[in-house]
Amino acid sequence: MQTAEKKKVLLEVDHLKQYFPVKTDSVFKPKNYVKAVDDVSFHLYEGETLSIVGESGCGKSTTGRAILRLDEPTDGKVLYSGQNILDFNKKEMRELRGDLQVIFQDPFASLNPRQTVKQILNEAMAIQQVVPKEKRMERMLELLGYVGLPEEALDRYPHEFSGGQRQRIGIARALAVNPKLIICDEAVSALDVSIQAQILNLLKKLQNQFQLTFLFISHDLSVVRHISDRVMVMYLGKVVEIAEKKALFDSPHHPYTKALLSSIPVPNPTFSREKVILKGDVPSPIDPPSGCRFHTRCPFATERCKMEEPALREINKNHYVSCHFAEQLFQ
Amino acid sequence: MTEKNKPILEVKGLKTHFYTKRGVSKAVDGIDFTLKKGETLGIVGESGCGKSMTSLSILRLIPSPPGKIAGGQILFKGKDLVSLPEDEMRKIRGNEISMIFQEPMTSLNPVIPVGEQIAEALRLHQNMGKKEAWTKSIEMLKLVGIPSPDKRAKQEPFQLSGGMRQRVMIAMALACTPEVLIADEPTTALDVTIQAQILSLIKDLQTKLGMGVIMITHDLGVVAETCDSVAVMYAGNIVEHAATEYIFTNPKHPYTLGLINSLPKIHEDQEELQTIEGSVPSPYNMPIGCRFASRCPFEQPICHAKQPELVEQADGSKVRCWMYTDKWTGQVIEKEAVQ
Repeated sequence: MQTAEKKKVLLEVDHLKQYFPVKTDSVFKPKNYVKAVDDVSFHLYEGETLSIVGESGCGKSTTGRAILRLDEPTDGKVLYSGQNILDFNKKEMRELRGDLQVIFQDPFASLNPRQTVKQILNEAMAIQQVVPKEKRMERMLELLGYVGLPEEALDRYPHEFSGGQRQRIGIARALAVNPKLIICDEAVSALDVSIQAQILNLLKKLQNQFQLTFLFISHDLSVVRHISDRVMVMYLGKVVEIAEKKALFDSPHHPYTKALLSSIPVPNPTFSREKVILKGDVPSPIDPPSGCRFHTRCPFATERCKMEEPALREINKNHYVSCHFAEQLFQ
Repeated sequence: MTEKNKPILEVKGLKTHFYTKRGVSKAVDGIDFTLKKGETLGIVGESGCGKSMTSLSILRLIPSPPGKIAGGQILFKGKDLVSLPEDEMRKIRGNEISMIFQEPMTSLNPVIPVGEQIAEALRLHQNMGKKEAWTKSIEMLKLVGIPSPDKRAKQEPFQLSGGMRQRVMIAMALACTPEVLIADEPTTALDVTIQAQILSLIKDLQTKLGMGVIMITHDLGVVAETCDSVAVMYAGNIVEHAATEYIFTNPKHPYTLGLINSLPKIHEDQEELQTIEGSVPSPYNMPIGCRFASRCPFEQPICHAKQPELVEQADGSKVRCWMYTDKWTGQVIEKEAVQ
């Protein structure tokens, strides 16, 4: 998927698979697997924001966790600056985590309740040894400034802060080690809209300030539209469409993307559009449908869709879709 | 008054307070609204604004102690629910007024088949026999669009997906054909494609059964697509109550305006989102003036001195803001303010 443009690829995910074994009734039966991420490939350019969207169980968070090796992937490669990080040993991995940071959805669960903000930030810097001991205090105050928290915050515990402020602490912790890539896993989903807007603005500001690359995982398409450069849509462990933001939102080519976009309630009562309401639920990832995984809910499904799995192919420049009929369906 | 416009639920000056060690938390502090037959009223606001406490107050499900309805009336077809004895209330709850909760997994009994749970409501409220109630509960599951309902009725909640569980909740809430349905964040826990299914289902059933619906949500998109009128709550008060189209095209209260402008737009690009600075005041220590004053870009001395009333405007909408009174001397919201 190399393009002629001179953008530098920071991270490349190559045929990534993440299967989780599930319990079977009997030891004599074959083992079953949840195919949470099933053969996913994409790349991330330096300095861009790529979003992964999809519904629960589509594998978007699992992809993020697999890149960080929080779960050990079943198969595939994750190349960071050309090196396969799945081959790294513990020590190399620890060093790498200085470059790769993560911000989680729930700031209540991802901060140690028994540590003050000072201890939280200090620990991150101590592990990565990015700042000498005597300069850490200075650095901490600087970090608080970046994320818009007062100096007094240093001696307080996470429970003393509101949800939005806690998310700021999480961001400060991620920034503490001078990362290059931050994976934001539903980073604003738990916040109220007015607070969500503050955090989104902050993330954008910090990205410009420090030339950060974001992998932004979210189910909220309006947020994704705001923050991304490119968007990747996943369904049942597969990539269904990757495109630049504008192309994806203005002319989606996969029926699932189309349905997803049209399902978002729009806060404008005068806005009317054609709604595609999908029937049924997302099938189980233990036993995904044959052929195209979306065929059970797709309004355009044919016999071919049931038999043959569509490959992800480029239909326009930088616009990849996995649908047999991408060209015919939406002009 | 025609049958359609008859109010079935009137809330007058409702106050729900919580008496805790830290002091009195005024979760709901004097709210008024009316729900008509066949109408959908949206109640929106951010976490802690009192929207869910309002709905629990209507059904008298406030955890008590520490909570208590401290004042006001809830008139349902002329009867005041606040002073109704508990056994009378039990006949209304789930029968004439029902509720759909946000998390179907915690509000369904995990060890009883779902069909049984629906049938229980029918036997209790409609005096149906066991067989009749079971048949009717399968009929209800079919109505809410659950495939092979006779098989599903025998299953326990964990065997169903999130969307199906929410459908079961709806089936249960509607089994006794209530006149008022309170939906408290009915789709917040669901994915967008399932949310679209559930919202259109509620809408269909409302038209079929002619109930009044109170839709409690934090999602302005859901409001725009389902509600006839909207009450915006902030820190225990209604700050604006207007027809849905006015709320979005001509928001009057600075908080409503801020809320709408802080949403990322799906159909246009913005460099930076507008935000509302600061945070909500503590419910234990409410300011004496307007509760939004400390975050309001238009604030004036009068805003900190005294709380404004909810005043009806020329276009029929109601606003709680000094800007819409003759005492106002500061700047006003310009027409183009909505992005």
